[in-house]
Amino acid sequence: MKINCISCQKKDLDKNTIGINKKLLGDKIVNYYCMDCLADFLEVSKEDLLDKIEQFKAEGCKLFS
Amino acid sequence: MKKQHYIYADNAATTQLAPEALKAMMPFLTEDYGNASGAYSFSRSARKALKESRETIASCIGASPEEIFFTSGGTECDNWVIKGHIPLGRIVTSKIEHHAILNSLGYTAFFSHGAAKLLPVDEKGVVSHSSLEAALSRKTSLVSIMLANNEIGTIEPVKELAYIAHQKGVKFHTDAVQAVGHIPIDINELGVDLLSASAHKFRGPKGIGFLFCRKDTPLNSFMNGGQQEYGLRSGTENIASIVGMATALMNCCENMKETTCKLNKMVSVFKEMIIGAIPEAVFNGDAYHRLPGHISLSIPGITGEGLLHFLDLKGIAVSTGAACNSKSTQISHVLKAIRLPISFAKGTVRITLGMDNKNEDVPIIANSIVDYCTKVKRK
Repeated sequence: MKINCISCQKKDLDKNTIGINKKLLGDKIVNYYCMDCLADFLEVSKEDLLDKIEQFKAEGCKLFS
Repeated sequence: MKKQHYIYADNAATTQLAPEALKAMMPFLTEDYGNASGAYSFSRSARKALKESRETIASCIGASPEEIFFTSGGTECDNWVIKGHIPLGRIVTSKIEHHAILNSLGYTAFFSHGAAKLLPVDEKGVVSHSSLEAALSRKTSLVSIMLANNEIGTIEPVKELAYIAHQKGVKFHTDAVQAVGHIPIDINELGVDLLSASAHKFRGPKGIGFLFCRKDTPLNSFMNGGQQEYGLRSGTENIASIVGMATALMNCCENMKETTCKLNKMVSVFKEMIIGAIPEAVFNGDAYHRLPGHISLSIPGITGEGLLHFLDLKGIAVSTGAACNSKSTQISHVLKAIRLPISFAKGTVRITLGMDNKNEDVPIIANSIVDYCTKVKRK
């Protein structure tokens, strides 16, 4: 199923973007943000979110590829 | 993720090395590198430091120097006690012990042909007198109950529990890794026979700890080799770390009243701020008999893991009581044992303030938590 950003409607969010949404907002969420909108929503930098994704990948989390 | 200002609030995991400890260690990491077992004069300062450190540590807990055995840390102490007590038999312990205890029990069960008895705890994480009394039998060889729990901060009634064990002629061990240096400890008042401690939990270096073993308590050697530590724990002594541990412990004990007072005030402010903004939040563990600066907070409707990573992005370090993978959330054995409802357990974080935290850290942490909850619940 293709998922779009709830805020800017950016199309086809990738697995890592969906994974970081689940990690930070909870595994039960049904609406997702793109990386830019997630960074805005949480008031953090996009670079820090990308670093987090790399951290989770290194830990072997299957939410990321 | 480099932050100019990072608030470290995970002091139950480890602590910053005390500057006084580092200063005391430095000579033994540089010019005074002699082996304390050496017969020559060059080893004299190492031998002297070893002796004085043992005396300092003993005095901090009311023990005799010859009852202090240096180890590599709390995990080694716990393994040593579980696997080395005499006679090796059935152990009674609790469901909320550290994995250094729980994961060592299989060894004892194998050699003594009997599984360990794990005592339940109440919703505050307290082991009851009656459950211990009921669990003791003529096959029991040791009782091991932690002095303070690492996840929820509850201080166990060890004095009373040790008395019950002794009434049945059973030796008593306490894993005091979270408590040493943070609450007053007198081993004679507690009445324990064995006690585990780890330096990095009280601003000492990592990789060093000590086991208190009362004179009349038999214990097999754990590391075989030379005659160090009265022949019970072989291996060249780590003098620098031992000196650092003794200095850090003395420093913690000297400042304990002041630190506890400061931390109690900080925790009180934090709780008020959280409850004022998130009334459904709960604080786990015993409200009164608990470690200073220790907060176990559960908020339904969020995940502790999400909050942990959000706080990390904001430059704040805490830990969580539940970790998730792609398929499920693993709730900690401690939160399960206190029967915390799953929605609360999943939303649990541990915030442990230490003497290096500043008063202004508290509103920053509390406001960040409230901010996260507002965002997630609004979404």
